[in-house]
Parts: sequence; C-alpha cells; structure tokens
Amino acid sequence: MKRRSFVKNVSFASVGVPFVFNNMQFEAISKKLFTVPKAFEDRVLVIIRLNGGNDGLNTVVPINEYDNLMIQRSNIILPETSLIPIAGDNGLHPVMTGMADMFNNGHLSIIQNVGYPEQNRSHFRSMDIWTTGMMDPSITTGWLGRNFTVDHPDYPDGYPNIDFPDPFAISMGYDVSATCQGLLSNFSHTVVNPFDATNLPNNAVTNDGTYYGDHMEYLAGIISQTNQYGAQISNAANAGNTLSSLYDPLNPLAEQLKNVALMISGGLQTKVYILNVNGYDTHDNQVLETDTTQGTHANLMKRVSDAVHAFQDDLIQLGLEKRVVGMTFSEFGRQIASNASVGTDHGDAAPLFLFGDCLNQSIYGPNPVVPDTVVNQAGLPMQIDFRDVYASILRFWFGVEETTVNSLFEHTVTYHNIIGGCELSVDELNKIENTSFIYPNPAETQTTLKIDGSGGMVHIEVVDLKGSRVKFVYEGILAKVTHHIPIELDGIEKGTYRIIIRKESGTESIQLLKV
Amino acid sequence: MLSNITTMRPDNEIEVPVSLSMDPYTGTWGQEEAAHLLRRTLFGPTFQQIQDTVALGMNDAVDQLMTLVPTDPPLTYSADEEVATFGQTWINSVYPADPLATENARRGSLAAWIIERLNKREYSIQEKICLFWQNHFAAEYTFDSRATYNYHELIRTHALGNFKQFVKDITIDPCMLVFLSGAANNQFSPNENYARELLELYTVGKGPQIGPGDYTNYKEYDIQEAAKILTGWTVNGFLSDVETTTTAVFQPVLHDTTTKTLSEHFDFAEITANGQNEYADLIDVIFLENEVATFICKKIYRWFVNYDLTQIVEDTIITEMANTFITNNYEVLPVLSQLFKSEHFYDVSLRGTIIKNPLEYLFSMMNSTVSTPTYNFDENYELYLFAYNGAGLLGMDYAQPPSVGGWTAYYQAPAYSRLWANSSFIKLRFDISDLLTLAGGLSVGGNNWEVNHIDFLDGLSNPSSAPDVIDDMVTVFCPKGLDAFKKLTLKAILTNGLPDFEWTIQYNEYLADPTNPVYVDPVKLRVALTLSQLYKMPEFQAI
Repeated sequence: MKRRSFVKNVSFASVGVPFVFNNMQFEAISKKLFTVPKAFEDRVLVIIRLNGGNDGLNTVVPINEYDNLMIQRSNIILPETSLIPIAGDNGLHPVMTGMADMFNNGHLSIIQNVGYPEQNRSHFRSMDIWTTGMMDPSITTGWLGRNFTVDHPDYPDGYPNIDFPDPFAISMGYDVSATCQGLLSNFSHTVVNPFDATNLPNNAVTNDGTYYGDHMEYLAGIISQTNQYGAQISNAANAGNTLSSLYDPLNPLAEQLKNVALMISGGLQTKVYILNVNGYDTHDNQVLETDTTQGTHANLMKRVSDAVHAFQDDLIQLGLEKRVVGMTFSEFGRQIASNASVGTDHGDAAPLFLFGDCLNQSIYGPNPVVPDTVVNQAGLPMQIDFRDVYASILRFWFGVEETTVNSLFEHTVTYHNIIGGCELSVDELNKIENTSFIYPNPAETQTTLKIDGSGGMVHIEVVDLKGSRVKFVYEGILAKVTHHIPIELDGIEKGTYRIIIRKESGTESIQLLKV
Repeated sequence: MLSNITTMRPDNEIEVPVSLSMDPYTGTWGQEEAAHLLRRTLFGPTFQQIQDTVALGMNDAVDQLMTLVPTDPPLTYSADEEVATFGQTWINSVYPADPLATENARRGSLAAWIIERLNKREYSIQEKICLFWQNHFAAEYTFDSRATYNYHELIRTHALGNFKQFVKDITIDPCMLVFLSGAANNQFSPNENYARELLELYTVGKGPQIGPGDYTNYKEYDIQEAAKILTGWTVNGFLSDVETTTTAVFQPVLHDTTTKTLSEHFDFAEITANGQNEYADLIDVIFLENEVATFICKKIYRWFVNYDLTQIVEDTIITEMANTFITNNYEVLPVLSQLFKSEHFYDVSLRGTIIKNPLEYLFSMMNSTVSTPTYNFDENYELYLFAYNGAGLLGMDYAQPPSVGGWTAYYQAPAYSRLWANSSFIKLRFDISDLLTLAGGLSVGGNNWEVNHIDFLDGLSNPSSAPDVIDDMVTVFCPKGLDAFKKLTLKAILTNGLPDFEWTIQYNEYLADPTNPVYVDPVKLRVALTLSQLYKMPEFQAI
C-alpha cells in the first residue's frame, strides 16, 4: 500500500501556520478552459440501492411459473390479472407502470437471477459482498472505489484540483456509499441539498502518527473538501435545469433524482450518483392480506418505478439521455416460499434493473424456475454473477480497459453486452471520440459548450432554425485539450436553435433549447 | 505470552507503540487520564467531574462509575395523552379506543426521557452502556411505547449484569418478539428472522463462510432448527384498552415439539421438547461456545477503546477479556472493570481514537458546560425532544437504529466512527454548535436551551486568568490537547485580542456584580465565541 504523503500536502498546511480561520479555503475554479484527460468522461452512472433484500418474485413475476408460485406463496402472490405483462412471459408488479412504460420504450433492461456463488444470507455480509464486488471478506474497498483508485491513487490528497474540480461520486443523503470506498478514503461525497453551499471553517492539523492523528487529518480534509466540492455542486445546481412534470414531491427518491438531473444538466462532472431506498426487509406484512397488490412492498416498488420514470423523462427532455445509465441492486432476493407472517425471509438471487437510453435493451437470462413443492429455506439459484454486471458497466459504459477491469475483481470476468444502444458495443469501443455538447440545455441565460480542440481553426455560432446567425461565439485556434466555452443567451428569444461548429474536419451541429 | 509492547498500524500505515497488557495501570493519574476515562464512560464530563476523578484515583473512580443509578419512569407531558394524568407516568396505563394520539404522546415522552437521562450527568457508566446494548440488540421502538419502555428497562437492568440471562430475557421480550417476528414464528410456518440474528448478531457471531450455508460458528441449518425451538411465543396487550402492560405469552399449540438437533458447530446438541423453557435450553447450548465471549468482547472493545481490532489485539487483549467473561460466568461488570483499569486502556496512543457519535457530540457541549433546561418538566421535555431530533438529524435516533445491526459506525470497515463526520454531517454539526453557543440554543415556544457559558466558566480552576481558562477548556474538550498556536488563537478570541489582564479585570467586574447584564453579557459573549470556535476544531470531534 502506498504511504500517504500527509505532511507535504499544502492543503492541510500542517507545518508553520496550522490554523486558517475562515473564508480562505475556497478559490473558485474560474478558469473555463481545462483539460479532461480521459475519454468517456461525460458518462454518468446512477445506482439505486434497494436496502434490505428485495423480493424479486413479486417484482418481476415469471408468469410461466404462476401455478408453482401459487403453491409457494399463496398469501402474498399478486393476482395474475393484475400483473403488467412485458416480454418473455414476465409481468411487472402492478404499481410499476412507470418502469413498464420505460421497458416498452426501450429504456429498461432486466437481468434475471443475479447473485453470487454460495449466497450469504446475512444482510451485512451480503451487502459487503455487493458493495466491494469481492467474496474475500478481508477486502474493504468498494468496486467503484477501486476503479477510481487506479487513476487517483493519492485521493483525497490534493483533491479537488483544477483538473478534477468535482466529486468523483455523490451519495445523496447523509451516508457515504461503501461502493466508493478507496484505499485511503471514500470517493463519494454526501449531498443532502445541492443548493446549500457550504462554508465551514478550515482548520489545519498535524498528524501525530496515531489513530487520533489520522482522524484529525481526515476531519481537516473533509472540511476543506466539503467547502470546495460544495461550491462546485451549488454552482451546478443553480446552473442546471429540470423539465419533467412527473416528479412527485412526496416521493423522496424522485426528489433526489430531480436533484441529480439538476447537477448533471448544470455541468457537474461527477461520474457516479448513489441513492438509497430502505425498507426491503419484508419479513412481515409485505402485502395487505386483503389486497396483495398493496402494502409495504407495493409502496416501495411504486416509489422506485415512478421516480426512475420521471428521471428518464427528464433526461430525455433535457437532451441528456445519452449520458446517463442507471442500475438497481439489493443484497439478496427473498426465499421462494412466503412465511405465515405474510412476508418473506432472506433468500438468494433476484432480478436487477438497468435503465437508460444507451442499453442493449433486453431481459437477460432465463426466467427463474419455481419448483412445485415447498423446500424449506429455498431461494432462487444465481445464474448471472453481479460482479460481471459491474465489470460490464466499467468496460462498456466507462470505457475502462479490459485488463484494468479484470484486475479489479478476484474472479474470471465474463462480459455481458448490456450497454450498446448508443453505438458502444465492444467493437466500437476504440473508435469512440468525444463529441461536443452543451450544458445546461435547455438553458435560460447562459450555456456552456464543451468541445475538444484539435489544434486547428474553429468557428462557432448560434443560428435559428432557418439558418440565420443570431449570435457569434468564437473564431480562432483551439488547442488540443477540452474547452468549456460560455455562450451568453441574453437577448435571444425563447425557442429552438442550433449551435454550428465549423472545423477543418467538417461541421457539427448541436440543438439548443432556450427557455 | 506475547511481547508486552507492540506496534499497531492505523490504516496499515503508521506504526504506533501500544501496550498490550491488561495488568492494572500504574502510571500517572492526572487530569488527562481521568478525562480519558470519563469521555469513554460518560456523555461529556464536567471540569468538576474530572477533578473528582483525579482525587478518587483510578480504582475508586472505576468502581463508582461501574455502579447503576436508580431511575424514575417517563412522565405524561402532552395534552394528546388521553388516559394517564399529566405529570404522572403512563408506563402502566391502558390505551384509549383510538390509540394514535396517545401513542404519539407516549413516544415523545419516552424520547424526551431518554435525553433527560443523558443530561443528568450522573457519575455512572449507565447511559453509555445502555446505548451500547441498544446498539447490540438493535430493536426499534414498537407501536406500543409501554413495550418499548420495558425493552429499554430490560437493557438497563442487565446492562452490567449477566449476559446469558440478558439474552434469555430479551429473546422473549415483547418488543423484540415484535421487532424480529418472533411473535409470528410458529410450528406451522417458522419465521427465522430472530433465530438468524440471535446467532449472527447477538451471541456467537458470524465467522467466514466455509461452505454452502456454513458460517464457521453456525450454519443456515442451525437457524432453521433454532427457529423451530423458538416457536410458540406470541405477545399480548399491545395498544390494549384493557391490559395495563404488554406481555409475552407462550402458546403450546403453536410450538414445534419435535426434537431439534443442531450442527457440529454446537456438538450436534439435541434440544428436546421443553415447552416454554425450550428457548432457554437453546441459549444454554449456544453459551457453551467460547465464541460468544470473544464476539461480545470485540464489540465492547470497538465501542470503548478503538475501532482497529488488529490480530495482535485479538490475540492478547480480546483473549484476556473473553477469559474474564467466561471465568465470571458471563457477568459484564468484571470485564468492563478490568478494561478500564488496564494499562492498555490508558495507553496514550489509544486516546482520541473514536469520533464522537451524535449524542456524545451534543452532550459533550451541554453536559460539559453543566447545561440543563430550567423550565417546568413538560417544557423541558419539549426541549429534550428537540435535542432527540437533533441527534436524529446527525444520524443517531435513540431507539431507532438504522438496521438490526445497529449504527453502521460500529461495524462498517474501514471508516467506522468517521462515518459520523462525512461532508453532510460535519456541516450539520457546525450549524448545531453555532446554534447552541451563539444563536440562543434550542428553542421551543419561547424557552431556550443553550450551552451554559457562565456556569461553565465559573466552575473552572481560575476563571479570571485567560490562559488558565483556555487550558481548562482544552482539558475538558480535547482528548489530546491543542497545539500552542490554536490555544493562542482561542485566547485571542476570549480576550478580544487585548492583553490577558483586561480579561481578568472584565471577569472580576462581573464577579463583583454577577447579575448585572452590563458585566455578565460581555463575559458570556467572549466564552460563547471561544467555544463556538473550539467546537468547530477537529480536535473537539474525538474522544
């Protein structure tokens, strides 16, 4: 393990002037033109954790096994006529109209029977396995944290910085996500309200080499980082937009996803957003006995389905749908047979949802097989290893090299071609080039064009739908780095425009909605 | 016997020499050692308590701290309570036909009462060890606060007592029977919820998975068998308008009377039908495994000493603690007493190793400044309820842990107590400390509860000396002191940048006319400004 360079780091100013009072900590990243060193940098992954162990058999119901399900779980089974039929002889829980709509529009995939060998039925151990992506109990780093560590082994020393001004990952709420635990620190930054900029007193400390000293350094670092990241987050939230009318203000997950949409559209370069829904440990009263389509589990699934549906609708309206892919996960499924408490006990494999515009949309894997006799404690055997889902996302969505992905896991990775609706299949990976895009979009008073310079001449202007220029933006040579060019929209009427970028290699056109 | 001194490596990086001896500590006994003991056993020691502890000496101090204190029950404070009399307790009162408003009032009363307990500043480990057990048997409050109160009192009764009996009693506690579905567990459809946590979280603990469904210390099969053994228990009296309390009731017809056989991890123990005593037979069998003692002692260690349980600590400290536990037939008190008198506990490298949990954080401000709300009891309850909710915002709702495993900061490697201080929480902590020091404190209906700046100041060793005030503040609030520069900075805030003698004059003027706002208010403001700065220093966040 790399020895952390504590004392050298000026941001913690440990020697000489160990005390900084206030307001000195934040220097706005005013430089608009900076380098982004890596392809795929605009892609975002949204992870929704269904905490407690989701009952997959009452979420995606294998209709072909309905008779056997009746034998196993008659007190909680959803009436066959209530299910929303989708492909492959499957039916979604009747409250999941939003996700059914997404499925029919090609924006939802289902991976059946996801789990890992020799399922551990402890919430805690199993959640550790899912968040680390490792069966080895001595590993405490998260699967995303390990990936970030590859390029940023010293994090958090020296972060944020001019090249990486934004958090790598954001965990909505009060808890950091174990998926983002790195060797030295957790890569996820917690956000409750993105508009609430932080202004905490920085307070340098000296690490005396003990546990206490290590805590002091951690605290000084988190305070400094909170201020710097907080300002970036607030700026993005203020610059961002959200357009969907489907967000239910009483649905906490929907409100959090709305904030995620704001931050993405406001230009925050965070790669991963993590959200959490508690309450899936449904040992008792999972459904109402009088109406099994209602009750605890129905409320939970409705919350997730409605929120994800609104979020996807928003991304499409914002023109950001090619930049975001999402997934759900839960530490295990539940047992095939229900218990007498109108609930279900800890089980094994369960389905996992992927959502977004860039999926190779499908239902992966065969439907679960439900036996016709009750076997005590039986769960569904796993067929697709969750670690391979992670690896496939890293490979095909974030474009991480195959050798790197393989090195992040302890098992031999099998890749699944789950991403690709945006021409991102394995064969295409090496051909990808960054294309320009604007954020926020739609925009009110200002938007920013992100463009990769080629070292050659570029001419940029805004035109209306008839092709008449309404605003000149830039003409000149753009160096071979990524540039962020602000475009003022004051004085331009509301409506649809195109941003025309003429370069030596050809002309690009990006649609802009002024609101 | 392993070498007495070793190096321990936080984050596997920094080498720290640490004593691994559980022999009685015989080194210096001064303010720092006394304050260390009190920070780990109380919620925010006062300056006076630190001085008393120095005077008592280690042995007497620990013995006094390891004594439980009698309590009075929670009182009816809200007009929403429809049965019990205002000012009297409701713990044995029936519910009205529509119980909702009354139950809400009782839940509020219970929450306020718990916070009031923490605020009593008794010289006893009682509240700290109760929270430890609340984290261990992490049952949520039920929908009948009488059951929640009884569960809490069960914890209080056994907190320093016999752990085996504790597990037996909690197994058939009505609150627990509801929380982990024991009341729904019957021979016709066993519910394994409680059986699983009994083994995984309450007694032997889960070891590495060494085969399908085999967790070293028990198997999935054992959960199945244990669930059968535990069948037949139901609860009675919940929200009843007749019954004055909730009770556990054994229903023989629901009990599985077959002979149950446990796995090789319990030497294939056979549990034969024994009706309402069968659960106790199961627990007797479980306690034949020494893993119970090891598992519990590790939890005690993480709570009271250090999150980092290295192999060498496990081989030495934990082994000795577990031996003490087993030798004393699972009595808790001897284990704690030995720990708090040990050389290991007072090792300077193990001070400040824990970041305060939200309740420790709040009450290190309120208790250490001898601050107690001074209104009528019902008005005080409203303020305590505010504090309860404040701790909840900071991540710790007493009686409502986030999961059956308790609060993540006590088990989630590698961050542990750092989880209390991420970017969201640290901001909230600073907002709250500013509120409590500078902005009038918690406020309900015109009543305020804030840090007691004046009484705190008056209780210090030499309040008229600015350097002494700062030194005493550091003794009370900082587990490993504060560097000279920061102390000077704090003193500059206290004296408003003036020479020290100006503070002395200001303080003496206040002493001469202690009720005159002209003299009180400036002194109070200087202390408030100083504490508000100190409370935002990283050094204040650790115990």
